Amino acid sequence: MKRYNIFYFIGQALSGLWRNGVMSFASIAVLMSCLVVIGGFSLLVETINLNLEQFGVLKEIVVFCDKDATEDEIVAIGDKIGKLDNIEKIERVTKEEGLEYMKSKYDVYADVTNELNPLPDRYDVTYIDNDKVSELDYQLRQIDGITKVNNRFELATTLENFKSGIMLVFVWFLIILAVVSIFIIINTIKLSVFSRRNEISIMRYVGATGWFISLPFVFEGIIIGLFASVCAYFIEWYIYSYIETLIMTDLQMITIMQFSSIGNIVLWGFIGIGVVTGIIGSCISLNKYLKQ
Amino acid sequence: MIDFVNVKKAYPNGTMALRGINLHIDDGEFVFIVGHSGAGKTTLMKLLLREERVSSGKLTVGDYDLSQMSNFKVPYYRRELGVVFQDFRLFPKKTVYENVAFAMEVVGTPRKKIARRVPAILNTVNLAGKQDSFPNEISGGEQQRVALARALANNPKVIIADEPTGNIDPKMSLEIMSLLVKINKLGKTVIVVTHEKNLVDYYKQRVVMLQDGLIVEDRVGGMFDEKI
Repeated sequence: MKRYNIFYFIGQALSGLWRNGVMSFASIAVLMSCLVVIGGFSLLVETINLNLEQFGVLKEIVVFCDKDATEDEIVAIGDKIGKLDNIEKIERVTKEEGLEYMKSKYDVYADVTNELNPLPDRYDVTYIDNDKVSELDYQLRQIDGITKVNNRFELATTLENFKSGIMLVFVWFLIILAVVSIFIIINTIKLSVFSRRNEISIMRYVGATGWFISLPFVFEGIIIGLFASVCAYFIEWYIYSYIETLIMTDLQMITIMQFSSIGNIVLWGFIGIGVVTGIIGSCISLNKYLKQ
Repeated sequence: MIDFVNVKKAYPNGTMALRGINLHIDDGEFVFIVGHSGAGKTTLMKLLLREERVSSGKLTVGDYDLSQMSNFKVPYYRRELGVVFQDFRLFPKKTVYENVAFAMEVVGTPRKKIARRVPAILNTVNLAGKQDSFPNEISGGEQQRVALARALANNPKVIIADEPTGNIDPKMSLEIMSLLVKINKLGKTVIVVTHEKNLVDYYKQRVVMLQDGLIVEDRVGGMFDEKI
C-alpha cells in the first residue's frame, strides 16, 4: 500500500498561496468580511430572540377571571382553557401572587392588603401558533367567568415580522457574500493552477492521479477558509465586546449575551463555513482537472 | 507489446492525422519513428501517451486497451511509461535529485526507497555528483539526461522520447542516444520520435517512417529515407 505524506500537500498548498500572495490575501479578506457580516447578523437575530423571550411579549395571553368567582369556578376555567387547541401551557397566578408582584414593582401598591386587593385571579396562557391566535382569543372570551382577555399578538406579529425581515436580509447577504467569496477563491486557485501548469503536466505524464494533483489546491482552499475564519472570529469578538460595553453602560434595558458564552459556537461556525467555502471554491476551479 | 490495428485519428476540425496505422512493437524493441512535419508523429505520440483517444481502430500497450480505457485508469497506465521531451520540462527551482525524486513522489514511493533509487538512476545516466545542481547550472545534454533519469525513475516498461536531441548539440545528441540504447539493452522498449537523419542512420535500429498519416516504410536496421 503506497502512502502519501499529508505534509507534502500542505507544503505545496502553502507554496501556492505564497506564489499568488495578492489573490490569496484578497480571498482571505473577502471571506473574512463575509464571515464577520454573517456572524454579526446571527448575533443580532439571537439578541432579538433573547430580548423577546425576556420581555415575554410573544405568544402569551393573559386571561382575567371574575373577581367574585369561587375557587372551584376558577379551577374549572383553568380546565376549560387547558382543553382548547393551540395551547402550549397555562399558568395560574392567584390574586395574592399578583399583588405581591405589583408590590415589588410599583410603590403605590405597598400599603394594599389582601382584603383590599383589587386584582382578580388570572391565567397566563402560552400558545403555539401565532396564526391561530384570533381563534383562541375568541374561544377564551366565550368561557363563562372570564372578564377580560389581554393579548399582545399584534405586537408579537410586528416583532415576528421585524425578525423575519432581518432574517430575509441576513439570508440574502449570506448568499451574495458566499457567492462573492467562492468566486474570489476560484480565481485564486485558478491562478495557482496556472502558475503550476508545467508541474501539473509533468505530474500527469509520470502517472499522478487526479486527486494527487488536486489535493494541494483543495488544501489551499482549506487554508484560506481557516485563516479567514480565525481572523473573522477575533474581529467579531472585538466588535461584539465594544457593543456589549456600550449596551451595558448606556442601554441597560437591552439584554445582551456574553461573548464568552457564544464564542465557541461562533468560532466553530466560522471555521465550518470558511472551510466548506474554501473546499467548494477549490473543487469548482479544479473541475476540469479532476475530469481528465 | 504495443499494437496499432488500423488506427485512425481525426481531429474535431476535420484534420485526418492518422489514416490507418498498423504497427506491432515487441517488448524490448528499439524503434525510431521518423517523418517530416505533419506526417503524424506527434499524433502517434499523443495516442501512446493517451493524451488523445483513437477515432477508430484498436491500440493496445501491454494489458491496456487505449481505445477503450477510461480516464480513471490513465494515471496507472502512464506509470508504465517514461517520457522524455525535446524541451526537457525540468523544474528550474528543484535540484537534479529533486527533479528525479518528484516522479517517484507523485506515485507515492516511500522516501527511503526514493533516497536509494535516485542516486542509482543518476549513476546510470552518468550524472553522479550532479544531484545537488540546479538545471540552470548544467548543460543542455545534462538536462536531457536528468529528464531521462526522471523517465526511468518509476522503472517503466516503455520509454517514449519525443525529439530528445532537438535542443542539444550533436556530441550531446550521440551521448543521449547511446544512453537510450543502453536503457534498451536493459530490457526496456524504447520509442524515439525524431527527424534527425544522422542519428537514425548511425544507430541502424528499426525505423518506422510516417507520411501523411500512413506508415510508408518499416524496416529493421533501416535508414532515414529523405526522398519520401
